[in-house]
Amino acid sequence: MAATAIHRFPQHKYVDAVRWLPQLSPFDRFAVLALFDFDSDASSIQIHSLTPNPFSFQPQFSSSLPSRISSLKTSHFLLKPLIVASTAAGSLHFIFADSSYSSLDSEVSVPEGALHSVPASSVDLMDGGVECVTVGEDGKVNMVGVGDSNLSYRRLFDSGGLVSYTAVRWASPMEFATGGYGFSLQWWDQRKPGGPVSQFKGNWDKKMSSGIVHSIDIHPSRKHTCLAGGSLGSVFAWDLRWQQQPIILSGAGNTMVQSISESEVWEVQYDRCIKSNASSSRILPSMICSEDGILAVIEQGEEPVELLAEPCAINSFDIDRHNPLDVICSLEWEAVAILTRQ
Amino acid sequence: MPSDTVGNGALVPFSGDPPAVYPLHHGLAPPIRRLSISWSRGNSLRLSLFAAAATKVVEVKLTAEDPEISDAHWRRIAYGSVAPFALLQSRRSSLSALLKTPSPYHSDWWENVLQYSKEIGSLLGGSKLPPSPIIEDSNTIVKSGEEPTSMKAAWELIEIFYVDKQSQAWLPERLVDWLADYDSLFTSTYETIHGKLVDFQKELVNIQISHFLLEPHSIWHQVIEDDPRYWDLLSSALSVGWLEIVVKMLRLHGSYQLDQLSNREYHCAFQAQLNVKSKTIAVTVSKFHLENGLVEAVAVLISKMPRLCPESVGKFGEFYKSKPDFIKPWEKWRLQITKLDCSPIWIQCDNQQTREGLRNLLQIMLGNTDSLCMATCYWIELYISHFLYIRPFTMGIESMYNLAQKCIQLKPQSNTHRLARLMIGILEENTEVVLAECSREFGPWLVAHAIELLTAGSEQAEILLHEERYNLGGISIVELHRLVYAQILSSHTLTWQIAPIYLTSCMKQGMGLLENLLSRQSVQHNNVLLKNIEICRLYELDHISSNIMKIAGVYRWKHGHKGAGVFWLQQAEDASCLDRIAQQLFDSVGKSISDESFKQWEGMIELLGSESKHAGGLEFLHKYRDFKKSLQKVSGRKSTDTARQAVGSLILLMKNPSTPQRFWLPLLYDSLKLLNWKDCPLLSVSETNLLLNKLQDLSLAKLRPHYSEPNLPSDALSSIRLALATNLGRAILDE
Repeated sequence: MAATAIHRFPQHKYVDAVRWLPQLSPFDRFAVLALFDFDSDASSIQIHSLTPNPFSFQPQFSSSLPSRISSLKTSHFLLKPLIVASTAAGSLHFIFADSSYSSLDSEVSVPEGALHSVPASSVDLMDGGVECVTVGEDGKVNMVGVGDSNLSYRRLFDSGGLVSYTAVRWASPMEFATGGYGFSLQWWDQRKPGGPVSQFKGNWDKKMSSGIVHSIDIHPSRKHTCLAGGSLGSVFAWDLRWQQQPIILSGAGNTMVQSISESEVWEVQYDRCIKSNASSSRILPSMICSEDGILAVIEQGEEPVELLAEPCAINSFDIDRHNPLDVICSLEWEAVAILTRQ
Repeated sequence: MPSDTVGNGALVPFSGDPPAVYPLHHGLAPPIRRLSISWSRGNSLRLSLFAAAATKVVEVKLTAEDPEISDAHWRRIAYGSVAPFALLQSRRSSLSALLKTPSPYHSDWWENVLQYSKEIGSLLGGSKLPPSPIIEDSNTIVKSGEEPTSMKAAWELIEIFYVDKQSQAWLPERLVDWLADYDSLFTSTYETIHGKLVDFQKELVNIQISHFLLEPHSIWHQVIEDDPRYWDLLSSALSVGWLEIVVKMLRLHGSYQLDQLSNREYHCAFQAQLNVKSKTIAVTVSKFHLENGLVEAVAVLISKMPRLCPESVGKFGEFYKSKPDFIKPWEKWRLQITKLDCSPIWIQCDNQQTREGLRNLLQIMLGNTDSLCMATCYWIELYISHFLYIRPFTMGIESMYNLAQKCIQLKPQSNTHRLARLMIGILEENTEVVLAECSREFGPWLVAHAIELLTAGSEQAEILLHEERYNLGGISIVELHRLVYAQILSSHTLTWQIAPIYLTSCMKQGMGLLENLLSRQSVQHNNVLLKNIEICRLYELDHISSNIMKIAGVYRWKHGHKGAGVFWLQQAEDASCLDRIAQQLFDSVGKSISDESFKQWEGMIELLGSESKHAGGLEFLHKYRDFKKSLQKVSGRKSTDTARQAVGSLILLMKNPSTPQRFWLPLLYDSLKLLNWKDCPLLSVSETNLLLNKLQDLSLAKLRPHYSEPNLPSDALSSIRLALATNLGRAILDE
């Protein structure tokens, strides 16, 4: 891959998560940061605007939240940008920005304790922002419906703590996938309540220990394949049609594939920028970020391509939907990096 | 706070500095009935205040923020110095492995250290001002840019003396540059040339504006040379070698303003009530040209000063890299100055201020001690001026120290700036004093990182700093300062994870403190926990990570996240703990693993995996699930094969020592249908005997205390016995 321009922007606060915001006009680009100030215990989300010439990344406005953000997603709802954040205290916040991202339009939230008990929970927002699914380490699975001005929520499942969920991703308006301890994945269908419709716990190599799934992605064109990233640098795909055998793309102590990282893979997303043969049976290329500071693109059967190697962890990243060449990522050392691929 | 009335109000008498006062913002209505104080993280105190109606906990941070560098900026420096530090350590260890000597001191080592020093120095902010724009605005004499920090000044000073071997030959010139960059820092303690220049510049603007308002056609230039401060500042700036500023200021001299050329003379003439004749004008003009010629001659001499250093952009002078090349031009230049100084032309210069001012500049360049002493404000400035004009060939630190002593005597000051103290320590060649000054004035970060510089060029310092000392508990000075810095890093949530880099570079106590640090981290949040385990993996601290995982497992178990608890205990391979929590789990299993709640258990049992190695007593759950599943199949169909499979599972369960005794009876009761299978006996004679023996064991166990009766119908036992006996009979017949 050709040269990549990298810009780093110190934030003076810990950046828990970072997302691009939907682009509403061709000239303005915005990203949202989940920030936490350890000195004052203050948590906030901050919207930044990005201008290319000269390259700058300036805060537009910020809104404080009651506790540290554990999961952050963006979408749009009725043509308004929508940000959803779940906090470590278990509350869930929906923040509507106005279309120029210069101020906060409104905020609705589900209070602490209604959805999850502590600690962290994970959340995913359906495209178009009608429904939001939240899962937590407490083993609860909730659906939150976003109305015009109100929220409605219901519990889909409660494992009573016997199973914890650490990641969630919509597959279709009715189906979603969750991930948890022991590299387990679950497939759910809202029409079939009472538990997951399918479970995956692969037959991993006996010698290696197991880990936690931190992130899941599902490609809109291949809903039967669930891409997961987690401990030990592992990135694997679970094809619902081949239930018990994972397709290992990286890590997990596997010598058959090249591993780019050996530590926690915090986030995984399909890389929309690389055009792959759609009819190919191979897993589509994906991007990962890891605890040992790697941001890389992984393609089945190819050598991984490293985009960034930092001396600190990369906590999260996001590929811009409208300009998939642009990637934003949050660095553990209180900074944000923006990459522009050529 | 109400003070105790004993003595002067202090419980413990204070000596020395007055105590620092920290105001509390608790917002509680008085009276406060109770106050409890404990240490919080780092340098913070946690105060719990109890008033009548409410209580409040506040944290008080004891160290005030460094006024020069904010906390957030400090963290950036700490983050940024990790990579250069780690690189230097790894180079050091690979080099000493290569040379098979403990000390990596050899001729090229300083180049590595210099690279490290440059990287660290760049973190301290303020890349120097861009050299090119010698500001077009004629009023700007002193460039103002990012404020320099004392930290950077200290770092560069150490670098100049200890590391940069390449520029050792032009050490005096490097000090000139250093002072030019950091003279402003001394303004807080002394009067400085920089400070005077800034003040003068402010006034320049005012003069210009007021003159412009009064007489729109004349400008202030006409009077600048009449201002004694103008000449005063010129000589000061020249004395410390700020040639660009001097030349620029000289060009502000009124004689350059040819369009206004004789404005001044007219003015004088008018005041003297003289008849202005054309001849007088001509004379004035020619004198004016003469004056301008003198100013220009001095400006040219200044800008052609030979200097013993490599060329750099935007700097005035003629540059020579080596001493032999330098001597001749230097002498020639001095000769030119002497010539000009002795020239009779000065008599023709009427303007007294200009004449005296310019000749004073010449005296400075000729190295007149009195002029230098007059021109400079404090000893470092005087010291630098000596290097420039009296002893440009100075080499060797010993003579430098003597010279410094002399300058201090000439410019005695009541209090000393911290950078001046550091400089004296360096010139004294006393490594311990330098370290002590760094530590006291600039803090642990600087000491921990600057120690690498101190040992760069001197084997002696290397030995001094690396030798193990009894009074430090067997560690070296280097290790002590690294440990102190690591402690500070450890006390903050955001920086604790870089402390291991420093701790692992400490041979004696580093690993112990690292284990301590890792064991102390919270296990509550997965990201901290996983980071912790990752660090353990990097440094091969398996025993620590397994301990951490145990704690994490128990924490999650206690908070009701049973699955996560089991996962971590499995990772820790803690069979005994798993066994114990298994007993608790079985209590709920017996009741809840009924068919409808099976979904909940399914995930948990999946987690345990088919492998029972690390499952401890929980292995039973897996087999129990298999048995239940096959039993469910049997109830649906009447196939003997599925029933045989179920019996297989039952026998496996009953044979397995990890199957808890209290499950024996319920298991057998659940299997009554199998025992009474219509088509054929499903259990062989030996299998039946096994189950009968188990029943026998149970009746013995009943006699022991702590036996709990399973919740089964009263005739359960007898119906099991009957079924077993029947099966035994049929099996004997079959065989």
